[in-house]
Amino acid sequence: MGIDTGPPIDPRGQLNRLLDEDPADLYENAPCGYVSTLPDGTVVKVNRTFCAWTGRPASEVLGGRFQDLLDIGGRVFHETHLMPLLRMQGAVREIALDVLRVDGSVLPCLLSAVEVRDDDGAAVLVRATLFEATARRRYERELLAAQRAAEASEARARALHGVVSDLAAAISVDDVAAVIVQRSREALRAAGAALVLVEPPRAGTGVDLPGLTLIRSEGVPPPLVDRLRRAAGEQPARGVRSLLLDDRLRAERPAIAAELAAAGFTGLVVVPVAADTRRLGVLIVGIGDVPGGLISLEEPGSRQAIPAADVDLMSTLGRQAGQALERAALHEATARQAERAGFLLDAARLLAAAADVRETVERMAELAVPRLADLCVVDLVTEQGMKRVAARHGDPVRQPLADRLREVQLPPGGTAHPSMQAVLEGRTRWVRDLDDRLLGEITTDPRHVETVRALELGGVISVPFVADGRVLGVVTLCADRRREPFTAADVEVAEQLALQVALVVAKAQRYELDVRTSHTLQANLLPAPPPPVPGLATAVRYLPATHGVDVGGDFYDVVRLPGGQLALVVGDVVGHDITAAATMGQLASVHRALLVDAPAPSAVIDRLQASWPVLGLQRMATALFATLDPATGRLRIASAGHLPPLLLDGGRAEFLPVQPSRMLGAPPAPSPAAEWTGVLPTGATLVLFTDGLVESRTKDLDVGLDRLLAVAASSGSADPDALCDRLLAELTGPHRADDIALLALTRLG
Amino acid sequence: MTPVTVAERNCVRVSGLRTGRPMVFAHGFGCDQSMWRLVIPDFEVDHSVVLFDHVGSGNSDLSAYDREKYDSLAGYAADVVEICRELGLSDVVFVGHSVSAVIGVLAAAQAPELFGALVMIGPNPRYVDDDGYTGGFSRADIASLLDSLDGNHLGWSRTMAPVIMGNPDRPELSEELTNSFCRTDPEIARQFARVTFLSDNRADLPGVAVPTLVLQCRDDVIAPDAVGDYVHERVPGSVLTRLQATGHCPQLSAPEETTAAIRAFL
Repeated sequence: MGIDTGPPIDPRGQLNRLLDEDPADLYENAPCGYVSTLPDGTVVKVNRTFCAWTGRPASEVLGGRFQDLLDIGGRVFHETHLMPLLRMQGAVREIALDVLRVDGSVLPCLLSAVEVRDDDGAAVLVRATLFEATARRRYERELLAAQRAAEASEARARALHGVVSDLAAAISVDDVAAVIVQRSREALRAAGAALVLVEPPRAGTGVDLPGLTLIRSEGVPPPLVDRLRRAAGEQPARGVRSLLLDDRLRAERPAIAAELAAAGFTGLVVVPVAADTRRLGVLIVGIGDVPGGLISLEEPGSRQAIPAADVDLMSTLGRQAGQALERAALHEATARQAERAGFLLDAARLLAAAADVRETVERMAELAVPRLADLCVVDLVTEQGMKRVAARHGDPVRQPLADRLREVQLPPGGTAHPSMQAVLEGRTRWVRDLDDRLLGEITTDPRHVETVRALELGGVISVPFVADGRVLGVVTLCADRRREPFTAADVEVAEQLALQVALVVAKAQRYELDVRTSHTLQANLLPAPPPPVPGLATAVRYLPATHGVDVGGDFYDVVRLPGGQLALVVGDVVGHDITAAATMGQLASVHRALLVDAPAPSAVIDRLQASWPVLGLQRMATALFATLDPATGRLRIASAGHLPPLLLDGGRAEFLPVQPSRMLGAPPAPSPAAEWTGVLPTGATLVLFTDGLVESRTKDLDVGLDRLLAVAASSGSADPDALCDRLLAELTGPHRADDIALLALTRLG
Repeated sequence: MTPVTVAERNCVRVSGLRTGRPMVFAHGFGCDQSMWRLVIPDFEVDHSVVLFDHVGSGNSDLSAYDREKYDSLAGYAADVVEICRELGLSDVVFVGHSVSAVIGVLAAAQAPELFGALVMIGPNPRYVDDDGYTGGFSRADIASLLDSLDGNHLGWSRTMAPVIMGNPDRPELSEELTNSFCRTDPEIARQFARVTFLSDNRADLPGVAVPTLVLQCRDDVIAPDAVGDYVHERVPGSVLTRLQATGHCPQLSAPEETTAAIRAFL
């Protein structure tokens, strides 16, 4: 028997039955949601699938608006995109929307819709299908989250790269501060940022707490920085720390909380700035809405600690900033060093060219302001006590105040005045801040106080000039409050400057002493005015050189010999110094001694030549020796290498052709000295002179001699005094490289 | 690369009666100048009608998008001023929808000499609620909104962008692309959304010195009634007209009513 296989299978019939299923059932139980709405969103039809997915009965959905079933983002998107698109293109496809279930959970959907229009094109109905897209949307969100994370990471990398490249170009501490403040603000989208440094490479902004100085702030109010500095003490944080403006902060740190609120910050991030292990300072980043910027998405006070990635970024920024600051500080120090070295070099050049003590200190004072200081005052130690010789201000507007200071005489010893202290102790005094107490101690009268106050002096450095253990004076440098305070490096430069000045001043003082001594010596060595001789008028002149170390060896003498004759001499000892002057003195004495037996001029030369080694005279000399008989006018002249004498007679001038023999002190000539013999006519004038007269304005001797002839010929005077004055006036200037001796003698009628 | 004119940059289109009073229509966040297609025929009869796309939207020149410039509404306002100047307009009736209503306020402050009247459709000077102020959104709402925008790139694809943006005169190229009027570069859309929904321009309202119409729809989730009242109170001498239309885009959902309200004001 066969197996009962049951009713015959009719696949075709079953399929037909399924295909013939009630379309209403298909609508209700389709694998997607169906929603039909009026153009304004009012739901007029919805299927069971949608109701099942959302947990909302049809009765609740119908009559409500479709957009009200969406989350807030969906509602906005509906208004800004979905509705306009339907109106404009009649259909939308694959719009991602989140439908709210009745329990508040979210059903991620993809929606496609068409707008049904009437014959006039007016919208009648919107038919929408919704497919659940939970898995797909989750995947998309993960992709998006990964993309956002990658973007954030890239943004951090970009921020860091930007910082590194900007810092590479930052030269000064200020540059570094500007970069780090601006960049960190951008990186964290912060409302403000500020850089505070410990023992900053340059001095600060007038904040009174030692140790921590605000270098730069953008949007972080100084009172907040100050409050934080007080809270932190002098030790900046080691790790990145964040501070939130929350109830706890308000309770525990009300002052800081108040400053945060006043600044509009919801929190702070404090980032250590360090190089290796050295803590240089902190970067303060204020979190909050950027003024004029977009509203933060975070609820006020809801912000938790900053993300770990941002902490890493900020730590790195802090380290980069630290290294850049060290680099900048080194660079600035090098630049300052170079500038100081340049200054000292300039000082050396200027001082080398200065001629005397006064000029030296004046030049130094001019040099010091404003490069090294605002005000430079120099006091010299003199026999009469301290004497203020220079006071220069770098600002021309304040020079009158400096001039007033110049009138101030420092009180005698025992005062706290840094200049006096420096002189008394022989070492540098550095007053970092000239406060009222000290001002009261060092000023002499109310006007002095007023002057110093008007100068707004801050730091004062007084450095003595010491040479050979002797304090010669003191230079005082002052910085006013507009300038950054002095540093140890400034003091060092001031000391080096003082050392240079000390050497120059010592040399100049020694020289001035020498000059005074030589001139005194020379004046004493020169003879008294020539004796009056009947029938003769005589005039003599001696002019010392005006600069250099010149002290003359020129001399003249007029001596009455026994028997009525007159002996004349004009000579020039080689060299311009005390030795020359001394040699001249000896020579003049020896010459007088030789005159005892009234020798002829040539004999004088021969005797001097012969005895020169015995006399021990250290210099050679030239000289003209002459004798004159006043009664007859008989004249005998011999020359030891000297310029010829001038004869002026009746408007005619000529040099007498005296044959010169060798200079005194040169190896003696084999033959005796030659002698010129003649008569000085009545009314004629004889002029004996040294080369200073003809070499004063020109280095060419012949030109000088020609000028002498011309001037003498044109003088038209028989008075030897007038002639001397005329010759000196015409032939010499205010500056003489050499000294001049001049002797003129007129034979009266 | 040839320099882009303002007209090219903002895809400016001028129509209507050239000698008529100029009306500049500015679309809001979302789509582009097509938003005005149902209202402009009426105004073209007696006005010179200027339409444009904000940079980053519609057929504007995406290469002109500058993240820094467009990080605030002032950047968009500057573009409006440039457009008016380039076209030599004056006594402009500026019709701004949604965020562009506020952009109009900023533009009028930047160049008061250009503008003669302001029409603000569904304005909202600050979307985020604040102490004593209802903007209609919490911060969480805006965060959620920005997230859902991220989920809808509306057929955008970088490979298609040149085709879409480069051929405004050949619509057949874009017909096969869905949602063509509202698509743009997702990054630009995101930033525009941030600038739109996170700006606070309440302080700019009292500075408006031209006759102003505030058009307020019913049931507008983006610009609730309270915000319309707020704008009306703060803009000196402004007129508030409540429309029967619901939603945020009356120029699409109720063009006749919108047109009539504007004409009544003008």
